[in-house]
Amino acid sequence: MSNEKCVLPMESYRLAQYSVQVPCYVCEGPNTFDAELCRHCQAPMALAHQANTQKVRPKMIAVVGSAGSGKTVYLGMLTDMLSRQEDGLQLLARGAFSITLQQNTVSALAHCRFPDKTPAEPDCWHWVHCQVRMPGRRQPVELIVPDMAGESVHAEIEHPHTYPVIRSFAEKCCGVIVLIDAARINDGDQDQDFFAMKLLSYLSELYGDNKKGREKRPLALMFTKADRCEECFDDPAGFAEKKAPGMWQHCRERFPNHRFFAAGVAGACATVAAFGEGDIVVPLRIEPRGIVEPFQWLLEQLKW
Amino acid sequence: MHNSKSILIRWLLISGVFAVAWLGLVVQNWGIVAIAAGGLVYVMARSKCTRAAAGVENKPPIPSETRPPAREKEPTSNDPGDLVRQMMRQGRYPLLLRKQIAANLEAHQVAQATDALEEDMALTPAGEVLLRPPHSGPEVGDSAENPTGRLVRVELVYLDRYPVTNREFYEFVAAGGYGEMALWEQEILPGLLDFVDRSGLPGPRFWRDGTYPEGQDDRPVVGINWYEASAYARWIGKRLPTDPEWVKAACWPVTVPGALPLQRKYPWGDSMDRSLANIWGSGPGQIVPVTQFTGGMSVGGVYGLIGNVWEWTATPFGTWHESQARFETAVPMRSIRGGAFDTYFDNQATCQFQSGESPVGRKHNIGFRCAVGACDLTPRQAASTSTQPEEAVAELAMASGQGSQRL
Repeated sequence: MSNEKCVLPMESYRLAQYSVQVPCYVCEGPNTFDAELCRHCQAPMALAHQANTQKVRPKMIAVVGSAGSGKTVYLGMLTDMLSRQEDGLQLLARGAFSITLQQNTVSALAHCRFPDKTPAEPDCWHWVHCQVRMPGRRQPVELIVPDMAGESVHAEIEHPHTYPVIRSFAEKCCGVIVLIDAARINDGDQDQDFFAMKLLSYLSELYGDNKKGREKRPLALMFTKADRCEECFDDPAGFAEKKAPGMWQHCRERFPNHRFFAAGVAGACATVAAFGEGDIVVPLRIEPRGIVEPFQWLLEQLKW
Repeated sequence: MHNSKSILIRWLLISGVFAVAWLGLVVQNWGIVAIAAGGLVYVMARSKCTRAAAGVENKPPIPSETRPPAREKEPTSNDPGDLVRQMMRQGRYPLLLRKQIAANLEAHQVAQATDALEEDMALTPAGEVLLRPPHSGPEVGDSAENPTGRLVRVELVYLDRYPVTNREFYEFVAAGGYGEMALWEQEILPGLLDFVDRSGLPGPRFWRDGTYPEGQDDRPVVGINWYEASAYARWIGKRLPTDPEWVKAACWPVTVPGALPLQRKYPWGDSMDRSLANIWGSGPGQIVPVTQFTGGMSVGGVYGLIGNVWEWTATPFGTWHESQARFETAVPMRSIRGGAFDTYFDNQATCQFQSGESPVGRKHNIGFRCAVGACDLTPRQAASTSTQPEEAVAELAMASGQGSQRL
């Protein structure tokens, strides 16, 4: 038996780092310096690290809607379109993780498939941290936009505090884009109207402090899949008034700074029987319409 | 007369009110003054309301851009010469070259129609073309014996050099094409009343008052469905091209013995050149006149096949898909080809890519061009164009010059 002692370095600097808590950028909960995800809300800690290295703190924009309303496709297309534009609004992703959503969406759509469904678990969500250059403004703006799962948003609305990340993000965000499935509304499905009403009620409760003027934060209501009901493109507000009166009334009463938009990505869709997957809906061609307008309007409404 | 009378009455009313007001001042009774002032306001408001109701005030003048162009009066003469001239003006020369009709025309009339045909349409030689399913390119093991896709024989066909423009489609609308039942498919007759423009008149969806917006003469007509495109083609003496005809004109296959035809991915070559087609990010983000992006011309001299507007073809959508990947749609779709100004991906604006649309869909980015089979024209015309593909190609190359070099 040997009496040799094993000498281990103490690495005291590591202990020091652990003693300093890094707050999550979304929920402000304390985390260790090497945490990948916030242990409270599951938001990526990279957001906090990136924000700490910059002089300007990024603003947050929420893109919410029911499951299958097209949040992933919208965000993926938006980031891709803005990152390809030479003039007007331009977007530059910050961090490799911010490009994953764009990559997944674009590669799927290019092969006439929709991207995979976003999992309900927050640690699987894609977050986009980007720099947006606006025409007529010298300094670019920093934005954080997550791709939240529709099921999670629904669960949080029905049972508040189920998903702390959604609540924290919704509280802090400076503008909201609500996605509503126009095709389903046009087919007489009232669930979209009810979901939007619940969502607006949830947000208005969060923003209920009139002293801070939070109720004035801009709200863009976007009818997605409008290519399947062309009348929606002609007059989105009129479409809302006729087909989703509950939501329309909620907006008028509780969100003075709102506007309706219509958008579409697929020119046409079809159902195809895929081996092992059952019937899946596929886009027959990709021709984005009305994607940038809600985002641009929202940015114009914000005070920078 | 009516105006002067109403002005007189109004003056009398106003004078009366002022008189009452003066009286109020004289007797120093402010109540009467208030009544007089109220009366004056009432008279003025009433006058304004009446004018507004009559449409005299607050009605913006019709901007010149939306005014319909003056429609020419069609000749009512029974002279066959007039009829031929009218048909030539409307672009219906293929009808004149039909065997039954051409035999009764004078030589110079046939020559005139032939000239128009050769100017407006490009010849695609007979031969085979490979139609692949979407998103499949040449694969390992892809051979003449076992190709990915289907080899289809195409006969000698003329294809419009440009998509049908608003100006051309206007002739059809003005001639009452929407009311000629014989032009329309039997199954769509009940739906014909829905094919109206913004003002409710028969015509493409984005027109107004039976005509297209000013300045859009040379832009491809859009907002028309498959049935409208077919009816127009029938009226003008042509038809919609089939998928193989369209693809053959675009990718210009070269047959090599013992191998699959060598086909271009784009009319100009095998790689996307965004300066040659109006697709997303390369153009102004809207439909442009058919005479723009001429660099994207096919070998045979057909323009605008890729980008600007999708084009209806006569073939049902999904014809070339593998049997195990059949698409199911609410209504059987028709094939569209070529991509449009808002087509986002390069690989969806190729000669081979096929998309589909409901035959009653009247989209903002779908137009069409017409075709006519050489076999449908007068034998003299057909003979002059030669039934031998090689001769046709040589003749075409000599005519176009540029195309022959690319071969």
